[in-house]
Amino acid sequence: MLKKLKSAERLFLLIKKQLPLNVSSGSKGKIFNEMQRLINDDPESWLKAISIWKNLELDAKKEKLSQKDANPLKRKMGENDVIVAKKLETEQMHEIRENKECQLEKQIEAAALEQGHRITKRQEFLEEDLQKDAVGSRTHSDLTFRVSCRCSGAIAKTFTAQEVGRVFGIALMKQFGWKADLRNPNLEVFIHLSDIYSVVGIPMFRVPLASRAYIKTAGLRSTTAWAMACLAEIKAGAFVLDPMCGLGTILLEAAKEWPDVYYVGADVSDSQLLGACDNLKAAGLKDKIELIKASVTELPLPSESVDTIISDIPFGKKFKLGEDIKSILQEMERVLHIGGTAVLLLSEDHCRRLRDHGGTSIPLNCREGHAGEPGSEECLNPEGKTGISDPVSPSFAASNQDSLDRMPPFGSLVPVECYKVSLGKTDAFMCKYKKLHSPGP
Amino acid sequence: MKLLTHNLLSSHVRGVGPRGFPLRLQATEVRINPVEFNPDFVARMIPKVEWAALLEAADTLHLIEVPKEPIEGYEHDEEFLRKMHHILLEVEVLEGTLQCPESGRLFPISRGIPNMLLSDEETET
Repeated sequence: MLKKLKSAERLFLLIKKQLPLNVSSGSKGKIFNEMQRLINDDPESWLKAISIWKNLELDAKKEKLSQKDANPLKRKMGENDVIVAKKLETEQMHEIRENKECQLEKQIEAAALEQGHRITKRQEFLEEDLQKDAVGSRTHSDLTFRVSCRCSGAIAKTFTAQEVGRVFGIALMKQFGWKADLRNPNLEVFIHLSDIYSVVGIPMFRVPLASRAYIKTAGLRSTTAWAMACLAEIKAGAFVLDPMCGLGTILLEAAKEWPDVYYVGADVSDSQLLGACDNLKAAGLKDKIELIKASVTELPLPSESVDTIISDIPFGKKFKLGEDIKSILQEMERVLHIGGTAVLLLSEDHCRRLRDHGGTSIPLNCREGHAGEPGSEECLNPEGKTGISDPVSPSFAASNQDSLDRMPPFGSLVPVECYKVSLGKTDAFMCKYKKLHSPGP
Repeated sequence: MKLLTHNLLSSHVRGVGPRGFPLRLQATEVRINPVEFNPDFVARMIPKVEWAALLEAADTLHLIEVPKEPIEGYEHDEEFLRKMHHILLEVEVLEGTLQCPESGRLFPISRGIPNMLLSDEETET
């Protein structure tokens, strides 16, 4: 069930999170002591975490992989998981609201409601189990482990990850009697020391969550694809188009989550379409997604016939982009219904070209005091409810308003939200546009 | 290619404009695919359907029992919805052609995928 988080990258069971270790406090020895305290100070929380982990592992083995859920930030935060482990705790729900985008909250709520039963049972089970486990009575001394350590910031300048890893490893062995196994341990302990926090956790899965059971060959990273589909406000009975679908990743993620929708993917490349076809078959979604061979600059569709467009615009490195971004957007604008949404993944380059092309941005009056308020499109779209009630988290709002300010409207396509995403080696922008009125003659 | 898709496709040959719809369907290989019946979904698609185009296509494929138009209260009429479900979603054209009614341009359908790409001359302003 933990695999139901759709845009989380990796999942960890949090053991400890605290303020960063003070590197300037002097001798290495002192700092090593502090590190050891991370382990030795509170063995109970370690043991509890391991019990939870063991139970979750058992559950995962029993269940089939079916998937749903989550939040668009690519952060390896333990916060995700403690919350997942104890889903019904309302305080944590509030925490989520403050720290993350609303999608997570909605999804966890939805998932919690769906599986309320199972979780309650499991929580009861966990609590019973933990009560039986008096402190120290079960040291899980049969475990083998490995420490995975990452240091960044000030700490990284003083210590190497290996040194730190070794200190932790030895401390763990002494405290719990576990044996180290570097090749194939039962338990992996993940430690991240940075300038912002010190986090210790247990990774839940060997493989990142982004590799889906239902996608044979992924193009765009599934987590990003899912997040884009989320932004797009897909409604039941809508006609959703991906005019540069490639292997169909975005459509697959969307169709899994919003099945009562008519999806069409278009691409110019035979090999991509073949790959997409394969993917559709493998995922059992052949009936929900139709493919056509067409060019995004000459879409064989009548004007204003599409409700939603979601697309990852090729960045020009892997694919040759014959057409330029303006003709692409022009055609998208044409086929989109008024009030329709387009969510595009653009490279820095694309954004730059769009900025040069587009005149002045629509002044965003509700920019100030944006923290925690509903998305800015409510200011831009007087026609009424857009259906989004996601509060953008405060820390996000600041950086996104910057990007948003810089994105000009394209004809009648008005940018309403813009998020910077990391795609690993490069950064990109997830831009959401709304079509407000018909373009002029 | 399902008939629901055919219902949306239009020819984009320069100068053709709205007269590029609907495309004339010719099928050499058709398959009937059972698809899970979802009455809500079908009901939502009905208002989007261009009936004349649908009837023409259904006729070419010799489909029977094709409703001539949406009936009153179709949202709750299961029999009607099932018929539409079959026609729109379960009939799959695997091989054939689509023809632009204005320019006569033929677009091939191969392995269920219609090829709507135009050559440079056809798209040049």
